[in-house]
Amino acid sequence: MMQSMNAIELTDIRKLYRTGDEDTAALDGVDLAVKKGEFVAIMGPSGSGKSTLMHIIGLLDRPTSGLYKLDGQDVSTISKRKQAEIRNQKIGFVFQQFNLLPRTSVLENVLLPTIYGKVKDPQRRAKQLIERVGLADRLSNKSNQLSGGQVQRVAIARALVMDPAIILADEPTGNLDTKRSEEIMKLFRDINKAGATVVLITHEPDVAAYADRIIYIRDGVVQEKAK
Amino acid sequence: MKLYQAIKQSLKAILRNKGRSFLTILGIIIGIGSVIALISLGTGVQSSVTKQVSKLGTSNLTVQPGEGFGPAAGGQSQAGGDKNGPGSGGGRGFNQAASTLTVTDLKALQDTTAHPKIKAVSGNVSGSAIFTAGGQQRRMTVIGTTPSYFDIANLNVSGGTLFTAGDITSSAKVVVLGSQFAQDVFGTTAAVGKSLVIDTDTYRVVGVLGKADESSFVDPNAEAFVPYPAAMATFGVSNFSSLTVQAISENNVDAAKADIQKTLLGTHHISDAKLADFSVASAKDLLSAVTTITGLLTSLLAGIAAISLVVGGIGIMNIMLVSVTERTREIGLRKAVGARTSDILGQFVIEALLLTLMGGLLGIGLGRLIGLVAAKIINITPVITPGAILLAVGVSSVVGLVFGIYPAAKAARLNPIDALRYE
Repeated sequence: MMQSMNAIELTDIRKLYRTGDEDTAALDGVDLAVKKGEFVAIMGPSGSGKSTLMHIIGLLDRPTSGLYKLDGQDVSTISKRKQAEIRNQKIGFVFQQFNLLPRTSVLENVLLPTIYGKVKDPQRRAKQLIERVGLADRLSNKSNQLSGGQVQRVAIARALVMDPAIILADEPTGNLDTKRSEEIMKLFRDINKAGATVVLITHEPDVAAYADRIIYIRDGVVQEKAK
Repeated sequence: MKLYQAIKQSLKAILRNKGRSFLTILGIIIGIGSVIALISLGTGVQSSVTKQVSKLGTSNLTVQPGEGFGPAAGGQSQAGGDKNGPGSGGGRGFNQAASTLTVTDLKALQDTTAHPKIKAVSGNVSGSAIFTAGGQQRRMTVIGTTPSYFDIANLNVSGGTLFTAGDITSSAKVVVLGSQFAQDVFGTTAAVGKSLVIDTDTYRVVGVLGKADESSFVDPNAEAFVPYPAAMATFGVSNFSSLTVQAISENNVDAAKADIQKTLLGTHHISDAKLADFSVASAKDLLSAVTTITGLLTSLLAGIAAISLVVGGIGIMNIMLVSVTERTREIGLRKAVGARTSDILGQFVIEALLLTLMGGLLGIGLGRLIGLVAAKIINITPVITPGAILLAVGVSSVVGLVFGIYPAAKAARLNPIDALRYE
């Protein structure tokens, strides 16, 4: 089946914001497909609509019109409650900042999504993932005792804990120096190699270069270019 | 989200800010503390009063002239300033009118075959006179009564004898002393055979009582007892200040009361019970009156203290609102990883509940402490009942729920995008 090959399938997605009497289109008919196991970077200048696109893909916002299929399931018009459930089960977020609960241990941060949904043997899985991102010796460190790079590693481990359909990373290296950025991007590439679908939003070409495919967005429309 | 997970999350949030959490619940601690302290002291007063009243004898009834409650059995309240104690009333300030309780009334009730529910009756004339005790002049209580009084009031002689029915008929000037009275006036309890001047009349001491239980209402140890005809002569009165009736058992008190009422209405030729010139009260009646008053006072004071709980609750709401604003990004993050609106609502409500419950528990401790300190000062044993603890826990939970809902709803309504973007 064609559909089940795609992790994300957006068809003619529009998002309008009302300012005064006028409607402004943040997204003006976006078509986009991301295959399972693909590593895609979405690039664009600020104001291009890439944040809005990320919110819609992440089910944090709802499109004004258009069709969104996540992991083969139409999620364009589902309820807020259902949105929360799908965010929990199918999407792993890595944000630019404020990724972790303050004064809370690495392990508890990674376990956070498991409070809100079911996953098999969460403790063991969380510990495995922490080991995988190279923080096995920091298991019980508090989040405020970690460096910027370590915080992002914990966020990646947390994003993976529910075994989601996609990892959605929003400027994950925005606050890091070049060396740490490279480490984090290598980690993304590794987890992608291991089978995870990764959608990365960035404005840095160096970072985007790690992806299989780069999608440019400008004025609310996709201008795809092959790598 | 499972309940224990929600509780765990809330507990962690509370412990993450120990200092602030403590300050937040300080209002609740003080509120619950003062409610508990006042209730425990109130209950303490009530139980001590109850004990005092039951010493009067739970199967005893007191008939008094006039209406309503006067001093209870024995009625030793003194008239202020008067040289002689007034025989006419238990205390001049209280019963202004001359007593309506006559010897005829006493005789009518003494007929136990006509009154099967009555075991014994005594007629009492309460008065006082000045005696020289330990080199000082003191006014002390003298009670004119019948021999049955000793039995009713559970008084026993330790030296000599009690006066008898014969002393009543002969109007003998004999006196039986309470042990303290004898000690005060004669410096010894071995006073039998000595003479005692009451007002202007000379009495012969025939007996001294053993040490008896005293209460706030009666202290038989400090009283002197004489046959009532002699007391009436000495104090110049012709009627009793009260009658004490002992029912055959505690269960028959109400029946005895009805019987007394009927009998005395008859001897007083009154047809309408509402116009009765006497009143009959059992220890039970007195007890319930006292309990009502102390209970009312306790709940009044506790009510005032409860206002501080509302203030404490507002404090909690305030801090929770600040906390919601401060933790906007945490809420956004939780929502992003799958927390539903209800999960966030639950977490914050539980947090407020846990805070107030902790406040309630610490408040119980504080209240106990205040009670103990206050008890040392005012000499009352505070009683903490399970009811008071239940009330404290219940009230603090309600406060937590009421004042926690608004901030929690505010948190739960946050849009995840706005929450994540919040600077």
